[in-house]
This record gives sequence, structure tokens and C-alpha cells, in this order.
Amino acid sequence: MKEILKIDNLTKKFGGVCAIDNFSVTLEEGTVHGLIGPNGAGKTTIFNTITGIYKPTSGIIEFMGKDITNKKPYQVAQEGIGRTFQNIRLFSQLSVLENVFIAGHLDADYDLFAAILRLSKFGKKEKYLRENCIELLKILGLYDRMNEKAGSLPYGHQRKLEIARALALRPKLLLLDEPAAGMNRDESKELVEFINELKEKFKLTILMVEHHMDVVMSICRRITVLNFGKTIAEGTPKEIQTNKLVREAYLGGEDVAC
Amino acid sequence: MFIQQLVNGVSIGGIYALMATGYALIYSLLGFSNWAHGDVAMLGAYIGFLCVATVRMPFWLSALTALLGAGVISILNERLAYRRIRRNNAPTMFLMIAAMGLSVTFQNMVIVFLGPKFRTYPPVIPVKAISLGSIKIGVLDIFSMAFVIIAMSLLELLITKTKFGLAIRAASSNMITASLMGINIDFYITLVFLLAGSFAGAGGVLLGLKYTVYPQMGNVSLKAFIASVFGGLGSVRGAIVGAFIIGIMEVFVSGFITSGLRDLFTFGLLIAILLIKPSGLFGIDIQDKA
Repeated sequence: MKEILKIDNLTKKFGGVCAIDNFSVTLEEGTVHGLIGPNGAGKTTIFNTITGIYKPTSGIIEFMGKDITNKKPYQVAQEGIGRTFQNIRLFSQLSVLENVFIAGHLDADYDLFAAILRLSKFGKKEKYLRENCIELLKILGLYDRMNEKAGSLPYGHQRKLEIARALALRPKLLLLDEPAAGMNRDESKELVEFINELKEKFKLTILMVEHHMDVVMSICRRITVLNFGKTIAEGTPKEIQTNKLVREAYLGGEDVAC
Repeated sequence: MFIQQLVNGVSIGGIYALMATGYALIYSLLGFSNWAHGDVAMLGAYIGFLCVATVRMPFWLSALTALLGAGVISILNERLAYRRIRRNNAPTMFLMIAAMGLSVTFQNMVIVFLGPKFRTYPPVIPVKAISLGSIKIGVLDIFSMAFVIIAMSLLELLITKTKFGLAIRAASSNMITASLMGINIDFYITLVFLLAGSFAGAGGVLLGLKYTVYPQMGNVSLKAFIASVFGGLGSVRGAIVGAFIIGIMEVFVSGFITSGLRDLFTFGLLIAILLIKPSGLFGIDIQDKA
């Protein structure tokens, strides 16, 4: 199996606080990797560092054999990493279609004059893109709402739109930040199936932060457990479930300072 | 008389609109009042003036140079001052203070190097009026209104129909999220400053043609600011509507009451809108920007 993401000794400090401490992980192509841990363990910080919002204090992030450690967010996105957010961050004033369109626009040649004059080459590309985006919305069940404002969608649909938007980037790696947040047991079961389906369809590798243990255990091939920025365990779902340190972290044990 | 004043109001409102739109675009993206915007217009007016009067270039070329020059100055403002402040994640208040500093600097540089005198453009556009029944419209006003209409239509197309427009609408909603969707924010901010600066430069040249050119003429952007607040800060359409309303109101107050009260009404309007509907006509309530 090919490695798609390789993070080596990643550390991120905010002032004196160590949000991520020597985090390492390797993701194999086509797998789902889980990132779990109590609140404040540094899971979202890892996402923000991978996507270039934060510059790491030290460490290396390699994506498909390429060093992306100090790339800017838009460059990371263009390399093929899409993400969703813990608290939904849609462009709420834009329409559903526009939300997806903007991410899909990446590979459209930038040409203002062509856009204004609606030149035929531009028109073809634009049409192709539009069809692609509509196709995505169909897959995610948002087709009949594509002209509504994103902010007016119900919560569940907004979550799906976030995924659609991330997919429009045509990513190879998808970072999902608590996709099952606010969902009940049935809904999260549905979500697991749905994510598996997407993974096959778009040939994705997924790194996922999630609190719903049933979701994590049923979908992830491997899981990393964090506590106070430190990796306390890594392994298959079975190994994690029986790990003593993990139980302590979740049920409350000694605080581990950095 | 009424229609005559309306025409005058639309003419001056159009010039305010040129400044207010750029001002609103910058506000919608970066969330601060660019107080140097009017001074970019002033520099545009001077560039145009120097090209026409000193270098003796043809007017169309001078105007084009003024537009581009103001656009480049506007980009430089962003590159040299605002971008550094943005990089440090400083409060937007810092951007506003930097803009005030730039404003003072530009005005005084012009005073030092070009002098504090009022200057008038040579008569590049005939000072004639065309009569339409009982209404008289100056050739300059027609020229200015035509330019404004074309510029505003292009801007509308740009914002609603192109990738540029989609990107800046997304970025004004949430800049970090937009960059995570593969949008090179810095590039679009540069384009916005170019656009805003060129529009301001055009406004400056038109004001210079209509009245005079002097170092403090950029203060007229206060009107653009009021127009923008009136229409809803950050809303480009709001800024256009606000600019025309203020232009028309000013002309009516000067024409039917007295010109001494003109600014009283304009600022009164600002206070009224802040009391009654602080988000402005087309304003959106500020949402979480984090």
C-alpha cells in the first residue's frame, strides 16, 4: 500500500502551551484513520496545521511524497487536501451551488476578460464545472436545494454541503472534523455507510476526528488517541478499545503536562 | 428646476459612487475603514492633472494613467502597510490607524512637492451645456454619468458573474475558509485594491474636472464613507444607492434651502441611519468572522 500522508514529529506551541507534542502518523492510501481524544487534546490543531492555517513549531508534513509543511492554506487545498469543520463554516450568504462551485473553480483558467465576454472556451469549461458540481450535489442529496442560500439549510444538510464543498476540490485526502456532531445513533450509522460510499466512489483517504465511538470503531482501520497534545496510543480499533492508557484518558486519570 | 437639480444630483452622486464602491469592497473583505481611500482619489486627480497640464498628454491617455496610477498606489498601500498588519493578526483598528497615517502622509507629500495651491484642469472637456427642453446638462456631466454607468455595470458583472466575484464574496464571508477551498486570498485582495484604487482615481479625475484639484480634496471620501454606512457597510450595492441618495440630497439642500446647510443634512443622515438602522439599508448583521 502507498503512503499518502506522513507526519513526522509534528509540534505546535502557542506561547508556552504545547498544543501538539511530537505527533507522528502515516496514512495508507484508501484507508480511514481516526483521531480521537478528550476535548482540548489537539485534534483540530492537527487539522489546522496540516491545512496550513497554523505554521508548525517543528516537524514535517509530507503529502504524496511532497513536503507541504510550510505551504499556505490555498496551496494545501490545491495539492488535494479537502476538509470540513467542527462548527459548520459554509459561505452562508452564497447559494448551495455557489458554495460548491467556488471550491471546484480551482482548475478553471483564470481569465477575467474571458469571463466578462463569455468566450466559448471559457463557456465550455464553466459548463463542465457546473455539471460536475451539480453531479456532486445530486450524490449528496442537495440537488433540489441548490439555489437556496446555504445559511438557510437545515443542520443535517449543511453538514452534507460541507462535505460536497470539500469534494469539489477533487481531494485525495479528506479531513473530516467531527462529521457526526449533533447526530443521533441512527443518523450516525447512516453517516458511516455514506462516508464509506464516498470513499469508494471518489477514491479517498480519510483522516477523521470524531467523538462518537461507534462511528470511529466501525469505520476506521487505525486509530490514534491523543491526550493533551501527546499520542498515547495507536492501533486497530480492537487494540484501542483494550488499551489501559486510553481508558484512563477518557475516564479521567492523572493530568499529563507537556 | 426640480429635474435640473435631480440631474445635478445624479452627476455628483455618481462620483461619490465611484469612491464608495471601492471603499465598500475593501471594507467587506478586510473589515476596516480605509481612510486613505480619498487620498488615493486625490493622487489620481493630481496624476491626471500633471499628465494633461505639464506633460501635455492627450486627455484620454492622462485619464488612463491616472486610473492605473491610483490603482498601483492603492496596491502599494496594501502591500507595504496593511498586509504586514494582517500577517500579525492585529485588530482591524490597527489597519484603520495605518490608513489614517497614510492619508496624512499623502496630503503632506503633495503639499511639499506640488504645493498647497488649488489647480484647475485645462478645458479638456468643453464647458458647454446641452439643452433638453428646459433642462441643461453639461457635457462634462454627461461624460461623467456615462462613465459611472459603464463602471458600475462592469462592477456588477464582475461581482455576480465571474470567479473573481464569487471568490471575494466567499472571502468576505470567511477568509480562512475561503483559502482552505483553494482560493489565493492575497491575490484577490491585490485585485480588489487595484479595482478600488482605479475607481477612486477615476472619481478624483472627475472631481478635478468638475471643481478643482487640491491636497485636501480626498476628504470628499467622507461622503463616500457616509454613503457606504447608509447603504450598509461592506455592501457594494448599498454603497451605490447610498452615494446617489447623498448626491441628490446635497444638491436639493443647496438648491432649495441653502448650500451652507448641505453638510449638516449629510451628517444628519449619517446620525439618523446609525440611530434607526445601524446595519444600513442593505447591511447584513455582522456574523462570526473567526
